Amino acid sequence: MEQISPVAAARGSQKSTASGASAESSGSVTKRLSQELMNLMMTSPPGISAFPKSDANLFEWAGTIEGAAGTIYSGLTFKISITFPPNYPYVAPTIKFDSPCFHPNVDIVGGAICLDILQDKWSAVYSVQTILLSLQSLLGEPNNASPLNPDAASLWNKPDEYKVQLMKHYRPISDEGSA
Amino acid sequence: MSRYMTEPEPEHIATLIHVLVRWHRAWAPIQEMGPTVMGTFTITYQTHVFSILPPEFSKGFKELIAYTFQVTSPDTCPDWLTKLFPCQGKSPRPDLGLWMTFDELGLTERYESLILSVCYERIETHITETCSKVWDQQMLQPMRSWMSDVIIPWLITPYAREARTADEAAILMRSVGSRLDYHVCKTFADLRTNELFDIIIDFPDSKPALEDLKDCLQRVDQRSHLVQSLRKSNRRRLLHPGADTKLILTQYVSIIRCLRIVDPQGVLLFKVADPIRRYLRDRPDTIRCIVASLVGDGESGDSLVDENEPIQPLQQAQFDDYTDHKWEPEPIDAGPEFRTNKPSDIISTLISIYDSQELFVKELQVLLAQRLLAIKDGNFDRERRNIEILKIRFGEAALQVCEVMLKDMTDSKRTDQHIQAQKRSDMHPTVISRHFWPPLQTNTFVMPGQFRQIQEDYAREFSLFKPDKKLVWMSHLGSINLELELDDRTVGAEVPPLEAAFIELTSRVDEWTVAELIAKIGSIERPAALKALTTWVELGVLKEDTPDRYRLLKVAEAANSNSKASGKQPTAAVDELPPVQTVQQQQAEQMRVFWKFIEGMLKNLGQLPLDRIQQMLKFAPDYNRNIDQLAAFMEAARREGLVAVNNGMWKLQK
Repeated sequence: MEQISPVAAARGSQKSTASGASAESSGSVTKRLSQELMNLMMTSPPGISAFPKSDANLFEWAGTIEGAAGTIYSGLTFKISITFPPNYPYVAPTIKFDSPCFHPNVDIVGGAICLDILQDKWSAVYSVQTILLSLQSLLGEPNNASPLNPDAASLWNKPDEYKVQLMKHYRPISDEGSA
Repeated sequence: MSRYMTEPEPEHIATLIHVLVRWHRAWAPIQEMGPTVMGTFTITYQTHVFSILPPEFSKGFKELIAYTFQVTSPDTCPDWLTKLFPCQGKSPRPDLGLWMTFDELGLTERYESLILSVCYERIETHITETCSKVWDQQMLQPMRSWMSDVIIPWLITPYAREARTADEAAILMRSVGSRLDYHVCKTFADLRTNELFDIIIDFPDSKPALEDLKDCLQRVDQRSHLVQSLRKSNRRRLLHPGADTKLILTQYVSIIRCLRIVDPQGVLLFKVADPIRRYLRDRPDTIRCIVASLVGDGESGDSLVDENEPIQPLQQAQFDDYTDHKWEPEPIDAGPEFRTNKPSDIISTLISIYDSQELFVKELQVLLAQRLLAIKDGNFDRERRNIEILKIRFGEAALQVCEVMLKDMTDSKRTDQHIQAQKRSDMHPTVISRHFWPPLQTNTFVMPGQFRQIQEDYAREFSLFKPDKKLVWMSHLGSINLELELDDRTVGAEVPPLEAAFIELTSRVDEWTVAELIAKIGSIERPAALKALTTWVELGVLKEDTPDRYRLLKVAEAANSNSKASGKQPTAAVDELPPVQTVQQQQAEQMRVFWKFIEGMLKNLGQLPLDRIQQMLKFAPDYNRNIDQLAAFMEAARREGLVAVNNGMWKLQK
């Protein structure tokens, strides 16, 4: 015969708080962004990070991506900026590289990125964290079929020359930053 | 004189004085030459004598005077004294002759201070001898009467010899007497002041000593000395890391009570208490101690609160009531920041150590959660009573959360009854509202086998009963009454759920490694798992064959392990306290979150000044620190080598 009396937690009825949140769409976007920020901060996956640029505007973030170990970008750090549209997450955020990045899918001058999940493959289930992770893996595994930077794409199979070009354009991040 | 120097006996000084007076008498001009010549001679003689007396003479003289204390009656008087200074006529005191001689030589006048200092020393030794460590009776009055019985009669000889009646003597003695009385009080006050710390420890047995001190302080102005000395001994004996917080609080409460007796106005208390309060504020477990005493730990017995004291609402700082006819000005030694808190009770005083009651209420919730979860027999009357009492102190609103917690307990009892009526279950869960309870430590694991089944059945019934709510199991809390049927015996035990989970697993497979068990149950830590396994090993149910490998003993092993198991009832099997996160743990957890945010912003935005960090932290949930707290935190992080600061700009240390 067994007697069990563990404690179970039940969510208290929260009808009052639930009604207030969905009132305004911009409110829910802010809420979603704060939630994503919280998740990103708490999980802090290695090599990627992002944070709002100012406390007044939650729609402009600055991010950092480190090249994954074992790739040609290993040890390099790139700054990016993320701009969320007002109807996020139904529309993908705009992301560009702030530091010059020599990469087949990145515009070396403007920093624009060619990545399917940021364009037609975007889905509301993606988050800042998944975008950053995708970008990190994009560095190591470019899509040479649709290059934004044909020079980089052509050099990809010659790692030594590629590295020379990469380092020629690379600028290490200074502390002064974009703050 | 040289004889005295080799052999310091009052007798030789007496002899010297005897010789001096003999010379004085021998050389004195005859009476007929008139008082003028007499006077001149005396002055000249005294001048010469005093100028050649060596410095040691005063010491010797003092000893001689001190010696006369012992000669109160002719029986005790040594022969040399009566021989050298025979007294004319009948005298109640044998040393009268000596004093007359002193007068004749002008020694009384010249060494008056010396004579008084002898009195002072006498008073001091007497008080120290009779009164130290005697705190259970009032000693000041006995001391004063001792003075009038012993010292005053002695003083009559040198000072009021000529007095014929008692009244005349009283007039002559008045100034000397009041000086001595003052000295008695002062000595007494000094003694008690030095002992005060121990007197406070002895309170309330030492109450008479405090009354004495109060009387003394009215006579002599030693108040600032008292404050200094008590502060010093507090610092030396109380406010150090070795002292238990509970002890400090007890002593603080005693200090409050004692100093209220000594100084009802509360100025002394205010000055003494200040360092203690500041110290207590820095101690991490102060709130916990106060709260524990608030709800009255039944076991400890010595609650800080006097049971008889009426429970009253917490008092806020009072302002002067200008229409109060009994208003009295603050005592002169009150500082500008002094606030009277005359009638407030001890608990209000303790709680006012902190600026807000909020902390207390939080700690109270944690404590209440622990106590409620520890209750097994479903009797919450005591807790309810406590909460009702506390409501009077803190007000209804502050304790609303506690009220909900209590209600959860009774509600879940009712719910359980209902569900049991629908479908019998062996489980009696407590349903708590997560929103209102302090965070419980989460290491939720999944109960295996039949336990899981019971949980699911119960949850199904529950969702029928309350469709808008969902149960989240906290499997690590509670306890399970088990009866294990093994091949040759049955073992009964009340164990925490983790133990039950393990034994359930062994009912299917006999042998497990620790890692396998953990993998099966999920999210538990290895030490916890080992502890659970040890419980069973002690009960003789499991056996650790090789390290990390446990086997179910279907048949009891050799007698030794069996007897060991039967001898040891599963006493320690159930956790002592339910693991509710303490307020500190909650704060540390919060700080960890904030640090992640700081790290994130510094990484992405480069270096930032402190105020920007403070502003940006509003993104962090529940951020409520002020900029000073943040500065302290950043400084701590800098010492850890996590960040660096340059010109007020903070950046991450690579």
